[in-house]
Amino acid sequence: MLRYDAGQGYPGPGDPGPAQRGASFFGGGDTPLSTLRQNLTLPRRASQFEVSAWLGGYASQQDGARLSVEFLDSGGTPRGLVVLGPVTAEERSGRTGLHERSARGTVPPGSRTAVVTLQLTRSGGGTSNDGYADNISFTVGSR
Amino acid sequence: MLNRRDLLRAAAAAGALGTVWPLSAGLSPAEALAAALDLGASYDPAPFTLGVGSGDPLPDSVILWTRLAPEPLAFEQPLPEIVEVEWVVSTDSGMRRRVACGTVAASNLLGHSVHVPVHGLLPGRTYYYQFRALGKRSRVGRTRTAPVGPVSRVRFATANCQAFHDGFYAAHRGIARENLDFVVHLGDYIYEHGQVGGAHVRDHEGPAVLSLADYRRRHALYKGDPSLRDAHAAHPFFLTWDDHEVVNDYSGSEGSAPFVKRRAAAYQAWYEHLPIRSGSALEPQIHRRRQWGSLLDLTVLDLRQYRSAQNLPGGTILGAVQKKWLLDGISSSREAWQVWINSIMLSQLARPGGGYYFTDQWDGFLAERREVLGHVAASEMKDLVVLTGDWHSAFVDDIRPDFDDLSSPVIGTEFTAHSVTSGAYSPEWNAVNGPVMGAANPHLKYFEGNRYGYDVYEVTPRRFTTHMRVIGDRRDAASPVTTLTTFHVDRGKAGSYEDPATVGSPAQYRRP
Repeated sequence: MLRYDAGQGYPGPGDPGPAQRGASFFGGGDTPLSTLRQNLTLPRRASQFEVSAWLGGYASQQDGARLSVEFLDSGGTPRGLVVLGPVTAEERSGRTGLHERSARGTVPPGSRTAVVTLQLTRSGGGTSNDGYADNISFTVGSR
Repeated sequence: MLNRRDLLRAAAAAGALGTVWPLSAGLSPAEALAAALDLGASYDPAPFTLGVGSGDPLPDSVILWTRLAPEPLAFEQPLPEIVEVEWVVSTDSGMRRRVACGTVAASNLLGHSVHVPVHGLLPGRTYYYQFRALGKRSRVGRTRTAPVGPVSRVRFATANCQAFHDGFYAAHRGIARENLDFVVHLGDYIYEHGQVGGAHVRDHEGPAVLSLADYRRRHALYKGDPSLRDAHAAHPFFLTWDDHEVVNDYSGSEGSAPFVKRRAAAYQAWYEHLPIRSGSALEPQIHRRRQWGSLLDLTVLDLRQYRSAQNLPGGTILGAVQKKWLLDGISSSREAWQVWINSIMLSQLARPGGGYYFTDQWDGFLAERREVLGHVAASEMKDLVVLTGDWHSAFVDDIRPDFDDLSSPVIGTEFTAHSVTSGAYSPEWNAVNGPVMGAANPHLKYFEGNRYGYDVYEVTPRRFTTHMRVIGDRRDAASPVTTLTTFHVDRGKAGSYEDPATVGSPAQYRRP
């Protein structure tokens, strides 16, 4: 976790990011790959989903953050996949910050589990993994 | 009236390939499909345009696959978000003696692909399967479960490297007609680059693929060769991948945002278009170990997803988890043919005077190769046969734990197969460099690079036999298949030998 008031070039209160950004956001740490994962049990009724996240990186570097939601059936077979990001340096116009990505749709019938994965990756060498993420949301509701 | 081949030759001669393609240049989906049909792609009736397939056979289970794509080359399919698909498994091709059936939801979130893991089947049996959706039935596919217990014989094939623009899939036509238990695809199932132009018989549909929509369309284009669909419908497949399913010479551990995005799109599209058994379409774990009764163990390797960059002191082609899994498997291997499915050359291929031809292959990961092959030797694992693609030419190598030490024991054989279509070096290059490679690599026994095709393996408890099947002409979709040569490995005796009946066949290098 990093604070928006950390300075040192990390995203701050004035950089692109969520309007309601709170105090902290996810950063990739000092490893090439950081992964956070949460498995959710889905309702058996027909459902819609919405997923959104603010994803970003540092200046012109290509470190990045990717959020995925994979819908699995009771046997573990994939029934659907949504991938948000990563937001490239070009998409950030070479500026440090986070940008919103979102998707919505129908939960594939037969899905029993949603695997929500945030992956923060470091490009090339260096120490700091400057993939950033904040305000991750995944909601499921009735159709 | 021109037949399709004549039309293609005429179009190529007139430069029409460059004017009709790319399909994306202002053409509607219907116009794009018409252009594709004119130039040699064809499809099954909608919505099962891309055909059917099965894969990863276990004693009681196979994966059934199809994808609904009414307009296979369109970026968006004219389908609702969810389409219900019925599937049926039968013991007869007329689909009368049903043994399993069900329904599954095909979702736009996986390109309306369907992967059905059917369980409760009997071992060592042939089954037939069919899908129904939107009031239409697919073609009937044939599959086979793995046997258990004593097995007197298995017969299977490998295919690799099938650049669409380099020719028609006469090799897959041959595979579809072979009497096989299963097929292994060794990778480079598609190529990611844009159009190549020139005098090719056909071409890619547009520029280099980057997005999920791009990769879906590229896979759909490749499935436009009817022989590929026939091969999938005829036999269950085991699959690994090489680099061109994503991009040339990539390392999966690269973390830059554009690459991470592209790799995710490529992996998802690969999953959507093939009969893969996996718990993820985003990062499918494809390394696995499978048994064909008591006769043969298949070790399917993934040499892309977890690899580091080449030529690093601590570099890895397997990744830490897969390496431990492979080493543990070597330690605990049973007495059976140990067959490694290996997308890219394992054996050393040194240049005369130093260095290697390509360090994208295991030659770029020297320490890990020494560790793995040293462990094979130390564990006294017997009867190792490695099956390889990528090189677009045929090689036969003795495998040694230290290729530079001729006193180290031969611990296995590597058969590197011809490509389905992907272009090899010129006959002139092969004639000059076959002997050069042979002189610089004393473990290299055979090299032939002027032909295209696939390998068929006949395996008994006593002998592993490799038949190199070759086609006459990549430009002919119905080119006949012949056997160029045959090699054998006898059980319990490391090292291969060529069948005396074919030892005089053409080759650019054959160790005396």
